[in-house]
Amino acid sequence: MTSVAVELGRPRRSVLARTWAFVRRHVLTVYSLLFFAYLLLPIAVVVAFSFNHPKGRFNYTWQGFTFSNWTHWNAIPGIQSALELSLEIALIASLLATALGTLIALALVRYGFRGRGTTNLIVFLPLSTPEIVLGASLLTLFLNLSTPLGFSTILIAHVMFCISFAVVTVKARLIGFDRHLEEAAMDLGANEWTTFVRVTLPLIAPAILAALLLCFAISIDDFVVTYFNAGSEVTFPIFVWGAARNATPPQINVIGTAIFAIAATMMLLNVFLQNRRAKRA
Amino acid sequence: MGLGFLHRHRGSTPYLLLAPGMLWLAVFFLVPLGFLFYQSLQSGSIDFGYAFTWAWGNYWDSIKGYRGQFERSFEYAGLATLIALVVSYPVAYWIAFRGGRWKNLLLLFIVAPFFVTYLIRTLAWETILADHGLVVRLLTDIHILAPGGRLLATGTAVVAGITYNFLPFMALPLYVSLEQIDPTLIEAAEDLYASKWRAFLRVTLPLSMPGVVAGTLLTFIPAAGDFINAQLLGSPTNHMIGNVINSKFNELIDYPAAAAMSFILMAIILAMVLVYARAVGTEKLTG
Amino acid sequence: MTDQITRRTFLRRAAASGSILTVPGLLAACGGTSTSSGGSTSSHKLAKTLHFSNWTLYIDKSGNKHPSLDQFQQKYGVHVDYREDINDNASFFSKIQPDLARGQSTGRDIIVMTDNSRYPSLLVQKGWVEKLDKSAIPNIKNLIPQQRHPSWDPHRDYSLPWQSGFTGIGWNEKLTDPVTTMGDLLGNPKLKGKVGLLTEFSDTIALVMAYNGDDPSNITDATFNKAISTIEKAVHSGQIRQFYGNDYSGALANGDLVATMAWSGDIIQLQADNPHLKWNLPDTGGDIWTDNMLIPKGGDAYTASVYMNWVYTPRIAAEIEDYVNYVCPVLGAKAALLKQDPQIAKNPLIFPTQEMLNNVHTIDPKALNNEKYQTTWQNLISA
Repeated sequence: MTSVAVELGRPRRSVLARTWAFVRRHVLTVYSLLFFAYLLLPIAVVVAFSFNHPKGRFNYTWQGFTFSNWTHWNAIPGIQSALELSLEIALIASLLATALGTLIALALVRYGFRGRGTTNLIVFLPLSTPEIVLGASLLTLFLNLSTPLGFSTILIAHVMFCISFAVVTVKARLIGFDRHLEEAAMDLGANEWTTFVRVTLPLIAPAILAALLLCFAISIDDFVVTYFNAGSEVTFPIFVWGAARNATPPQINVIGTAIFAIAATMMLLNVFLQNRRAKRA
Repeated sequence: MGLGFLHRHRGSTPYLLLAPGMLWLAVFFLVPLGFLFYQSLQSGSIDFGYAFTWAWGNYWDSIKGYRGQFERSFEYAGLATLIALVVSYPVAYWIAFRGGRWKNLLLLFIVAPFFVTYLIRTLAWETILADHGLVVRLLTDIHILAPGGRLLATGTAVVAGITYNFLPFMALPLYVSLEQIDPTLIEAAEDLYASKWRAFLRVTLPLSMPGVVAGTLLTFIPAAGDFINAQLLGSPTNHMIGNVINSKFNELIDYPAAAAMSFILMAIILAMVLVYARAVGTEKLTG
Repeated sequence: MTDQITRRTFLRRAAASGSILTVPGLLAACGGTSTSSGGSTSSHKLAKTLHFSNWTLYIDKSGNKHPSLDQFQQKYGVHVDYREDINDNASFFSKIQPDLARGQSTGRDIIVMTDNSRYPSLLVQKGWVEKLDKSAIPNIKNLIPQQRHPSWDPHRDYSLPWQSGFTGIGWNEKLTDPVTTMGDLLGNPKLKGKVGLLTEFSDTIALVMAYNGDDPSNITDATFNKAISTIEKAVHSGQIRQFYGNDYSGALANGDLVATMAWSGDIIQLQADNPHLKWNLPDTGGDIWTDNMLIPKGGDAYTASVYMNWVYTPRIAAEIEDYVNYVCPVLGAKAALLKQDPQIAKNPLIFPTQEMLNNVHTIDPKALNNEKYQTTWQNLISA
């Protein structure tokens, strides 16, 4: 690289300026790395304390290393059923919400119809409502209709707030979608249904999968809306809330770490696959 | 040709597609809000039952009685949003412009905290910020904290908790809009003699505004209604309106007052969102 | 694992004694025997499962199991679905209230609620509890006399005590000199910012009123307001770190709190976390509360009653007491324990002396239902 200034009017950079540029360039990097450290600090604490061996009820000070929390992860009464309930709800809710949300996304992107703007707004509203209002209003509905609070009310709530996430995720992919592929298929004689199933659906499948995973993650983590509408059922976050007020067994950290590990692995896989796909493209 | 697609299928198809999902949202999101409003105009108690009495007094009593909590909620949420914006903008910028092949991986780091249950992350902060923990001891040593001071059970801890928990909500939209900026625009600016800094101010920053707006909203709104951080990291003098609503619903069983408060909270937030929407255009917001 | 072995070790170090005499407070102690009212219309058939909701760490535990429950199952063939899902009275009540209001079953046969909250009396008042089948509870004769006639259930038709407890002051002896007076707790500048009070209305108000020289069992507007302003002063001066529910124990154990209002049994359990924790009744008097077993409407009264009878067998009560370490309501348990674990049998926190019982107050039940007081209190603890 020649060091002769080519651009007119641009002075050749002095040593000082170049050093300064070096520092500036790396300040951002250093800052970002510190930022990541800060983000990951609590996670590190959670993981570390899952191996803690507290003598008493609380898991706040380090007292010794043990694997027994991991081997006896369900030693705390109620923790296994809470986890199972959370997983069950998350599975069903994410499937339902993704299905409903995908349909809405298709309608919003592919069709011009009256009320499109309003529909957009209504879909967006739950995302811009504080969870406590969502939970409280649903509770009010159930109380007024004398619906017994429990599994079904939790499920209804979860599907409700996941639909919006599903719509946004699928919509993003649909908007960037290359219509020409569909047109080409139609030109080659496929009818609409076949085109949809053979061309569109496979191409938006990653987005649907992403929506599914997102809804699952959100559902399994939800506390506020669930807390208001669970009646006496206990999901894992509700269990943690109760535990935080009484005794925080390390098993909570164990499950938290496990969920984190699984989710992180899946995301890493996803990133890896995406990079592979990008390289091939 | 694309338009043909659109017009050829006017009629029932879009409505059929929309129906199941929108019905769900209508019944379980819109209708409940109506019930909430109805409940807020009731009066009574758990002992004697509730009756609809056009009790507008509930609203006035809520504002009067819990003004401190309302103000604090917006104060904490606002602070947290501002801090989140300032803190995550540089990182979003760094990933968008310097990330290269590692972009997706780096984004993963930002989203990672999400994968630990919200409550568990906040409990971890209780451990980290404990009075006899490293952080407090360090801050006392370098005289930022007075000796014998504490971080937990203060507003600072609550704001810090809220900021941390909502960082991904701020960072991701920022990243998305920064990433979409065409780098040739910046080059062009620099070709026209702008310094790097001016190019940033005049080109990058304005182009990233949609991300700033989105991130701000996605952070501020849930933060304003939060009560978990205040409950776990704060003291009763730091309680937000979310704590009061939670207590009124789930402990005192004073449904009318709680409903009125929820409505006031939502109304204020909705007003802010609509103002934003006007300024920016709904499509930019909802995409 | 915090098993009974560690528990006993720390009990030996537990310094629970030192309560000072004052003028008698009281436990309801009207004389007369309780007539065993005829059992309710319950069938005399045992259910397959007994659903029992209780507070955490409130029953004997050995590893993963609860021996007293297992023995019950062995003897009667009833599986006990034991859930530790009660964290505080108010939020638990709000969970079951919708079902009760609708006349639907809560899915529980036995729940445990504290008598210094309004809920036991509210439940009885609204008819949301089943009557005990006293014909299935001959062991009711083992109920200690002081507990036989509470004002909200004078003939023990609907409830039986599970455990009682004292509220006093707990402190960390490594971080402070003994804190034995409310005056110290509320005003000693050396403790500033490291003091906890309880969110439970009855506990805090009772202790503060006693400190002010007023009688908590007879609350008037004047005495109530005085107590509130005493507390407010301490809050505004920064003396009080926070109002706590059960979670004061974590803060006390790790040093965030140096002294706090605390429950007697808790401290014993916490000494496993932190052996420097001590407990005492305040010199002006503490309070005593009782957690009661109740049968929510729709629960199986007969099976629940059979279980209650089981719990009131002195041998079983002794087993439970050996772990739980709160105040035992069952006559004969002390004798049974003397053989197994004399340390616990002689612990006045579990089998209190008359002097201790005279130095504790109970809260005026009218105040629990007074909406004005309750709202003022809620505003205070969450302002």
